[in-house]
Amino acid sequence: MVKITWMIGGPQGSGVDTSATVFGNALARAGYYIYGNREYHSNIEGRHSYFNLTISDKPMHSISDDINILVTFEAETIFQHFREVHDYLFYNKALESTKLSTINSIERETAEEIEAFLESVNVPPTVEGVLGYLRGRGVKLIPVEYDKILMAVAEEMKLSVATISRSRNIIAAAVSLRLLGLDKKYLAEAIRGLFKNDLFVKANLLAADKAYGLAEPAYGLKEIPVSGHRVQLDGNTAVAMGKIAGGVRFQSYYPITPASDESVFIEANQVVDAVDPDTKESRKVGIVVLQTEDELAAINASIGAALTGARASTSTSGPGFSLMVEGLGWAGMNEVPVVVTYYMRGAPSTGLPTRSGQADLLFSMHAGHGEFPKIVIASGDHVEAFKDAIWAFNLAERYQTPVIHLVDKSLANAYSIIDESELDYSSMRADRGKIVIPDGSYKRFQFTDDYISPRAFIGNAVMHYTGDEHNEEGHISENSANRIKMYEKRMKKLELADKEIPEESRLNVFGEGDVAVITWGSPKGAVMDAMEELKQDGISMQLIQLRMFNPFPRNLVTKLLKGKSKIIDVENNYTAQAASLVASSTGIQPTNYILKWNGRPITRTEIRNAVKTIMEKDEKRVILSGGQ
Amino acid sequence: MAASKIDIKLYKTQEWVDWCPGCGNFGILNAEQMALAELGLDPKRTVIVSGIGCSGKIAHFINVNGVHTLHGRAVAFATGIKLANPELEVIVNAGDGDQLGIGVGHFVSVGRRNVDITVIVHDNGVYGLTKGQAAPTLPRGVKTKALPEPNINDAINPLLLALASGYTFVARTYAYDVKHAKETIKAAITHKGLALVDVLQPCPTYNNINTKEWYDKRIYKLENWDPVVKSESEIEDKITKAYLKAREWGDKIPIGIFYQNEAVPTYEDRVEERVSTYLKNPPAKQEIDKNGRFVTSIENIVKNKRVV
Ligand SMILES: Cc1ncc(C[n+]2csc(CCOP(=O)(O)OP(=O)(O)O)c2C)c(N)n1
Ligand code: SF4
Ligand SMILES: [Mg+2]
Repeated sequence: MVKITWMIGGPQGSGVDTSATVFGNALARAGYYIYGNREYHSNIEGRHSYFNLTISDKPMHSISDDINILVTFEAETIFQHFREVHDYLFYNKALESTKLSTINSIERETAEEIEAFLESVNVPPTVEGVLGYLRGRGVKLIPVEYDKILMAVAEEMKLSVATISRSRNIIAAAVSLRLLGLDKKYLAEAIRGLFKNDLFVKANLLAADKAYGLAEPAYGLKEIPVSGHRVQLDGNTAVAMGKIAGGVRFQSYYPITPASDESVFIEANQVVDAVDPDTKESRKVGIVVLQTEDELAAINASIGAALTGARASTSTSGPGFSLMVEGLGWAGMNEVPVVVTYYMRGAPSTGLPTRSGQADLLFSMHAGHGEFPKIVIASGDHVEAFKDAIWAFNLAERYQTPVIHLVDKSLANAYSIIDESELDYSSMRADRGKIVIPDGSYKRFQFTDDYISPRAFIGNAVMHYTGDEHNEEGHISENSANRIKMYEKRMKKLELADKEIPEESRLNVFGEGDVAVITWGSPKGAVMDAMEELKQDGISMQLIQLRMFNPFPRNLVTKLLKGKSKIIDVENNYTAQAASLVASSTGIQPTNYILKWNGRPITRTEIRNAVKTIMEKDEKRVILSGGQ
Repeated sequence: MAASKIDIKLYKTQEWVDWCPGCGNFGILNAEQMALAELGLDPKRTVIVSGIGCSGKIAHFINVNGVHTLHGRAVAFATGIKLANPELEVIVNAGDGDQLGIGVGHFVSVGRRNVDITVIVHDNGVYGLTKGQAAPTLPRGVKTKALPEPNINDAINPLLLALASGYTFVARTYAYDVKHAKETIKAAITHKGLALVDVLQPCPTYNNINTKEWYDKRIYKLENWDPVVKSESEIEDKITKAYLKAREWGDKIPIGIFYQNEAVPTYEDRVEERVSTYLKNPPAKQEIDKNGRFVTSIENIVKNKRVV
């Protein structure tokens, strides 16, 4: 099995994303799968950012800390990542004499840490020093004269170097492709496919030509024939596509990382084709995307839209969700099907705005004063994110209650090459729940046997809603008996959901073994990929990936966990939040924990090493710290 | 959607109206019910969205759709309702604390959108339902009954704020002049675009300064006043005059329509410009499935993401 890790770094705003996207696109054309994570500061220009890609002949779901090829343009990336690279380093020859102390963009704590390391191994804090250190460890160094190549391209095209300076990224992609042993035609195709402007297409093709010969093939990758189509997707886009397919007609949002890209994507595609599945007759219809003044407005506008019958949702991350909580309670009280896509980033307050985390599970479970039913689901990969976006609307409408869809930042911004067939949702059906067009008097909150009232849309009947406790008509009532009954009616919907939704659909199980690993969200990929590797070390495990937290699949989880010799909980947070839900629902506690809260995604390397540590030394809590 | 005049009784619910005796809200309620009846609005397709406060209860007293929302958020709910189904007639009823205090951000922001809804502010100078604290429209130095000290904050002028925010219909009326209030509300509803109706509303329980007697002496109706912008060249002049007039307060308090401009495209028009089928087939009316099978095609979107 091919598994090569490629990393590119550089200052934000210099096109690192583009080069990782173009490079991955070229590899996909050659038949390879990619999983790539994007790390960046909360900054627009100048701070260090990087992309970490795993290239494989099999679908990948995670990244690794062991970097085979590190591509750099400037000195900071070399200093930040030289300890991770094993095989090849591309560097800008002009920067050999750069000192660590002259790099202003690097954070003080990071510089001090690197300096201390270099001192401990007796290496001067300069690029030259680091290059010598790497040479000593067998890393091959490939100097690239980016500026010279760019000048040659500029001259040939009779343009200024500044105009085409971003072709620097293509130079990196071309040399990398050659090193892998793949034909440059894939890069040419990727360039033609991704760039719209003829001038840049030409400059990039020229740059690719000039750079391709700078390395010798070393990895011997061959083209793999592909059957069917493959797509390149990030998590934001996967959710947006799922929402569109699932019939979203109103999306509100207030800009926030890492959520807004989803809404922007929907807006860019707001005119969609509605196709009759029988006659195939097609017509253009529209989705309203509303950029509101704040998240208070975002959730409440979506609730308003949902009252009229439109499938409505909003997207946000922690700070925005904090503001949405009162509205969420109103939706719970008034039995409104509204979907909130909650992208989890790191830490409270502004925290680590562009980094990842999974610390908002319990918050989303308990968000809101008082008690009301809410359904909470969490996606573990891009395909799940796509399908869960559809599922969320169905759940919301069937149970007439808000649904929170959790997606971690490291899924939102990671991209993956996926077989298009995985996105097939033709077996999924729209479930709009109990909808009526009454032709007489109507009670919005009518008591029924299954606790779900027939739902009419505003426009088709006269009805009343209030955040106060209310009677069947939706008018305020503080009567004790009504209060008891109406409260119970709302809460019982969750019990109904628990009865109706198969527990098997609320979690995924992978592999078999005496050791169970519990996780949720994006660490799923790292655990799955690590499990493959651990098999070679003679360790087999069973992964239980939790996908729905409310209602919790307690029977199945209990059954799965019973009799395991070890239960390892893996999460991107400090307090092991999912584990506490497992414990409160099943009475079973994990025996060991692998936790990480530095804002960086969990890698498969980390899982492999941590599991080995746990197996060998039965360490209770392994804390991970990988990533720059 | 306007039909012929309908019996006002049809616009009353069975709920007991639980405001204090003599409360100005009764005037607003009557005026609003009469306005709806005279415009012949279909109760199913009319929505009153209210906030939290004594004023917010009004949604339960009128027999059209009533959405009694959260403190300050009525405009946000109303925007979602209107944009998802622009065929609905959407009216916001909010308290002054509701709309100009906690919800002032929405009050301003909806102005940028000129959504075709009507915002009625119950302007009583106090937070009625929380027992009489100073509301944002209470002038500095005024000590209403429940205040331990005179009000320390300056007042917001709702009309000026609306003019500055982009409202295309700006009016003030008086709760005890039910006929004037009714006519003003009718004009606001009929106006194409975002309308503010600031209703001076005595609160006999907590506002012992701005009482009925106090207002009766001061209020006068705008006369020889043409608020309507007929061409772009008139905007500057009319909005300036409206601004100056709206500042008048004290011995004489004008009521009436201060400014109206229907030439500004509504948010709905702006969406229609991008999505040509929007008004004919708005979000609320679209079928998203046929017998459970989804109809929205993402084929082209997926194709766009194809690498091989
Ligand atoms: C978020 C929030 N904060 C505070 C309150 C408490 N509260 C209820 S009514 C009200 C003030 C109402 O004053 P106003 O909006 O002027 O309405 P009025 O009662 O005067 O009609 C407040 C602060 C609340 N319901 N919600
Ligand atoms: S407190 Fe004031 S506003 Fe509230 S009902 Fe009584 S009189 Fe009316
Ligand atoms: Mg008030």
